[in-house]
Amino acid sequence: MCIKDFLASIPIKKVGIKELLTPDNKLVGLIGIILLITYLLGAFIALTHGHHAYGVTREHPWGLLIVMYIFFVGTSTGLAIIGSFGHIFGIKIFNGFGLRVSFLAIAMLLPGFAIILLEIGHPVTMMIYNMLSPNLTSAIWWMGTFYTFVLVFLILEFIFGLAGDHKTSRLLGIGGLVADVAAFSTLGSIFGYLVARPIVNGPFLPIYFILTATVAGAFLIFLVYGIKYKNNFPEDKKAMLTTLAKILGLLLVILMFFDFWAIVTGLYGRLPERADTIMYILSTKTYWIGEILMGTVIPFAIILLSKGKNLGALVWASFFGLVGIFFMRYDMVHNAQAFPMQTMKVHEYQLAPSIVEYTPSNTEWMIALGAIGLAILIYQVGTKLFDLDAQDDHH
Amino acid sequence: MARYGMALDYKNCINCKACEVACKEENGVLLGADKHRIWVGQNEMKGQWPNLDIANAAFLPSQCQHCDNAPCQSVCPTHATYYDENHVVRVDVDKCILCSYCMNACPYDARYVDDRTMTVDKCTFCSDTRLARGETTTACQNTCPTKVRTFGDLDDPNSEISILLKTREHFSLKSHLGTKPKLFYLT
Repeated sequence: MCIKDFLASIPIKKVGIKELLTPDNKLVGLIGIILLITYLLGAFIALTHGHHAYGVTREHPWGLLIVMYIFFVGTSTGLAIIGSFGHIFGIKIFNGFGLRVSFLAIAMLLPGFAIILLEIGHPVTMMIYNMLSPNLTSAIWWMGTFYTFVLVFLILEFIFGLAGDHKTSRLLGIGGLVADVAAFSTLGSIFGYLVARPIVNGPFLPIYFILTATVAGAFLIFLVYGIKYKNNFPEDKKAMLTTLAKILGLLLVILMFFDFWAIVTGLYGRLPERADTIMYILSTKTYWIGEILMGTVIPFAIILLSKGKNLGALVWASFFGLVGIFFMRYDMVHNAQAFPMQTMKVHEYQLAPSIVEYTPSNTEWMIALGAIGLAILIYQVGTKLFDLDAQDDHH
Repeated sequence: MARYGMALDYKNCINCKACEVACKEENGVLLGADKHRIWVGQNEMKGQWPNLDIANAAFLPSQCQHCDNAPCQSVCPTHATYYDENHVVRVDVDKCILCSYCMNACPYDARYVDDRTMTVDKCTFCSDTRLARGETTTACQNTCPTKVRTFGDLDDPNSEISILLKTREHFSLKSHLGTKPKLFYLT
């Protein structure tokens, strides 16, 4: 079969403008377009003013854009992992995720790229010299390379799935899963390799990244399915989501376990820098309210109390959960840079630096929130163009 | 081919900041990048008169440590950070993508963004200014009134810096990280 025939065999829905103008579509479209305009405005300011438009400093060079990049690509990795349960590992109850989760993973990956494009000062130089002058000891180089593979694999997996070629789609899915786990754990290792920063240095972050990615993926699945079915789930989807809720409950317990030991071992012995940063983390609201309460305790309590069966409540819990995941990413990036590398003062009449402060600028917020609009629009257009439930029962 | 390093008799430092001024003048450091390329750190004198802790109140001039095992070099995705023929850690502005990874990886906070090129810059031991003109000193060393700084070839056993390091006790900053800095603080 030549490429032309293959492309022709991909089923694309034909939709008229009139069919599209439902109240739901109008609302989602409006939100998406407003956020997209916000992104474009932010991008314009960033392109005309460079890094000056961001709240980052010499002492705190990574800010909200890195946070949102990790948020998006991490959630995409989580979706690829959960999508693989049925598609690759053949667990029948999860077959229903099918193309929807596969497409959602792409819809989350692309906004991540749209953000990192504005965070990297010279993206064109990056594309050229990543190939001409690669540094194989650099985690950023490996991450970039892996993500190139991830994008190609995910898109091809989706296209072949849509065309009904499940054998090829599954093989590509295996490639995508391996590349995705490699890419996102490498992103964790970017921080893990920082020998100068004991709060992140070590094997914890690459592992933590994969765990939290899966949690984030599960949260997004509940949110998207909740909005799609408006709390009126078909039986097969109900069984699937209830099982996923139980897995999510287990993952949240593991996450609590991770969080507990990260804090306790970090404090024990009062190792300078590491213990100081842990004390700082424990004093922040973003940790207690964002990470612990919203990201972990509330979703876990709902799963525990309803035995995973109250899917309506879980949809709400997932919304808070995703906000919690945002704070996990925010805190990780900020806390990594919170302890100053120079602790002597360099100016008269000034206190010696203790904790490096960072506040995102308006431009950073515009790009970060705008990218959410990008994800919404990509997903929404996908649901209109492709039959994302078509292959659910086929495995 | 040399292996340049610098010894700092830091207890002689009087915090006059002439080194900071000379560095700015020589290397064209922009306004706003104050204390970025080179700086003098200071500890507040502790205690109450007359029981003052004088030993605590030292000034510590600092800059890029030109590590032999530089974290900024190993994390750079495009080899924009490299060791030149004299083992000086340099940045190739054409290859720098401004991912800021080196700024995060540097244990000494010695890197900053140069607003002219929008790439990461740092101390170069005056490699493209004074050394390129054939001079043998850096601007900060040349201007220091109390001769805190001695710059030279660590591979030449007869150089002033080699003799100093053989005869005086010294330490390096954050040496436990294994970065092998080439800035040596004489005690």
